[in-house]
Amino acid sequence: MRAGVSTAIGATKPMGTVLPAMSADLLRVENMRVVFPTAIGRSRTVLHGIDLSVKSGEILGLVGESGAGKTTLARSILGAPPVPGRIATGRVMFEGRDILTLPEKQLRSLRGRRLAMVVPNPRGELNPTIAIGDQIATMARVHLGLDRKGARARALEMLKAVQIPDPERRMKSYPHELSGGMAQRAVIAIALICDPAFVISDDATSGLDVTVQAQILDLLRKLAAEHGSAMLFITRDVGITAHFCDRVAVLYDGEIMEAASRNALFLSPAHPYTLLLLAAFSHNSALRRGWSMTPPAPAPAAVEACIYAGRCPLAQPLCRREKPPLAELMPGHVVRCHFPVRR
Amino acid sequence: MLTVEHLHKQFPVAGSNKVVSAINDVSFTIAPGETLGLVGESGSGKTTVGRIVVGLIEPSSGAVRFDLAGNANNRARPPKGKVQLVFQEPAESLDPRLRIGATVAEPLQALAVDRSEWRRRVRDAMALVRLDLALLDSYPAELSAGQQQRVGVARAMITEPDLVVLDEPTSALDPTARAEIIDLLKRIQAERNTAYLFISHDLSTIRFISHRVAVMYLGMIVEQGDAATLFSQPQHPYSSGLLSSVLLPHPDLVMESSVSLKGEIPSPIDLPPGCFLASRCPFVIDRCRAARPPAESVGPGHIVHCFRHNDVAATTPASKTFEAFMAEAERILARPVSQPIRFTPQP
Repeated sequence: MRAGVSTAIGATKPMGTVLPAMSADLLRVENMRVVFPTAIGRSRTVLHGIDLSVKSGEILGLVGESGAGKTTLARSILGAPPVPGRIATGRVMFEGRDILTLPEKQLRSLRGRRLAMVVPNPRGELNPTIAIGDQIATMARVHLGLDRKGARARALEMLKAVQIPDPERRMKSYPHELSGGMAQRAVIAIALICDPAFVISDDATSGLDVTVQAQILDLLRKLAAEHGSAMLFITRDVGITAHFCDRVAVLYDGEIMEAASRNALFLSPAHPYTLLLLAAFSHNSALRRGWSMTPPAPAPAAVEACIYAGRCPLAQPLCRREKPPLAELMPGHVVRCHFPVRR
Repeated sequence: MLTVEHLHKQFPVAGSNKVVSAINDVSFTIAPGETLGLVGESGSGKTTVGRIVVGLIEPSSGAVRFDLAGNANNRARPPKGKVQLVFQEPAESLDPRLRIGATVAEPLQALAVDRSEWRRRVRDAMALVRLDLALLDSYPAELSAGQQQRVGVARAMITEPDLVVLDEPTSALDPTARAEIIDLLKRIQAERNTAYLFISHDLSTIRFISHRVAVMYLGMIVEQGDAATLFSQPQHPYSSGLLSSVLLPHPDLVMESSVSLKGEIPSPIDLPPGCFLASRCPFVIDRCRAARPPAESVGPGHIVHCFRHNDVAATTPASKTFEAFMAEAERILARPVSQPIRFTPQP
């Protein structure tokens, strides 16, 4: 096993993966740094040099709380960071080339066909004035070059694959006639109709009821397995990743703090922030107090401090002086901490 | 303290003479200092129940009675300020142009509390929810989502209510902020003996805050009972299916269930004559399609509406998943006793 996720720190240090990258990576993000301008001449770094890789057929979970940079990462991987964000450094290696250097036209044809994204709020994604069958078929016509009839047949197949009841009738339905769960399935059908090799799911199940969510997750996993595609599954619900993902990475304030196989991450978490996240689900306030600081200490002044030092109950003087690298604790288990929890 | 009996609510459908049957014969009680968790998927009518309890909506039929001090003849409307509501979206439920202090004080105006007392009451309410008094002059947009929801709780608690209806109070929050609000609500309940009607679709939160749980489906409470009992041995196929979809952050812990719910909640217009779950239920028999199952008592305070509840109970092993998760959490999340050891990565 190799470390799936590693990172270099901002642009200040040379790119360094923990172990040599293997060719089996389907998609590899290297040193992704995204900045947002805040005022004239100023900017805020939202992603501090993210490295991550996903193999064929693998589901990588990315968990983090609001503001951690999850959506920025998802969109930057597709070369379209949220406005006014800018990719300062970074490469996205996919099928042997850096897709961020491709001309806009090529990138656009790659998105949708080989790379797809499923987003939350399906109603915002669907055009309210076009029947969903036509919206799904348009993808097949544009990206796969099918004729009108062929595209519609393919769209109907997709509606069946995503288990929308009564698909023939639903082809003619407009988005407002669908429930939230059905609209989400339609968005998944649009994302998957071209058999993409890599799918990013950005909180795609967060607005759904638990029973519908379970069905959508089963469906995504089944479709990924059938098509051999890989997935980056972004969510703030840690519980989903424990059951749905092969590996899980924890994002905090634009940096990956820990990444491991799901068994290692959930059964022997090493980073104090991962422990805080998990403790929030235990509903045992005594356990949670062990991992939280109230009130949080002021953020460390040193630029090169650990970004979690201000909230970390285990922080030592070293943590306020020196930023820890993302380093391998056990084979395949990386952690960004000077004093990881080991049992 | 609160008794709800045979509640029904129909909403007319615009441009048609059909009706949406949002609530179909809902009955429950809440005792002082007790939390009843009302759980269900969207469209199950749980928010409508909450709004009827606080008096924002009139029921079509049925009774809501409060047995409170100063409410001598059990009127449907409790004395002002004795029943309060906390909303789901903390940002949207606060007036963006009103400073936090004014927001928290607002209910005092309706109660005609003497102005001279406001300052003290606002400070007490802020202290109760552990918010810094420096925030009194801030605007909602300057606060984090967790702080905003604390303001929502402070605004509800300032009138010293006997019952608070909490409608999805934690759904919009991150896990750590969610856990803090739950702790806060439990502490206030222990201090003031406040009763809660806690409405949520999040079963794991419901499990940890509720004394009793009522499971709603399509406007009906299909099962209600003690939280620990209902979660370990559900007797209604819907409760069982709902529980099996809970994803705890532990790869090996899943709720076992013989029910896998397919499809979605049907439309509440033109409800079928039989059991509402019949179209999705693996236990369905002809009888279920013909008549609605009556309430059956299957244990102390444990009521279920299902003809085949014995078969459901027999095929679903009693689950100790939540207890197992708690035990595992203590093992995995315990603070190490030894001093932190410096980790030096091998080059």
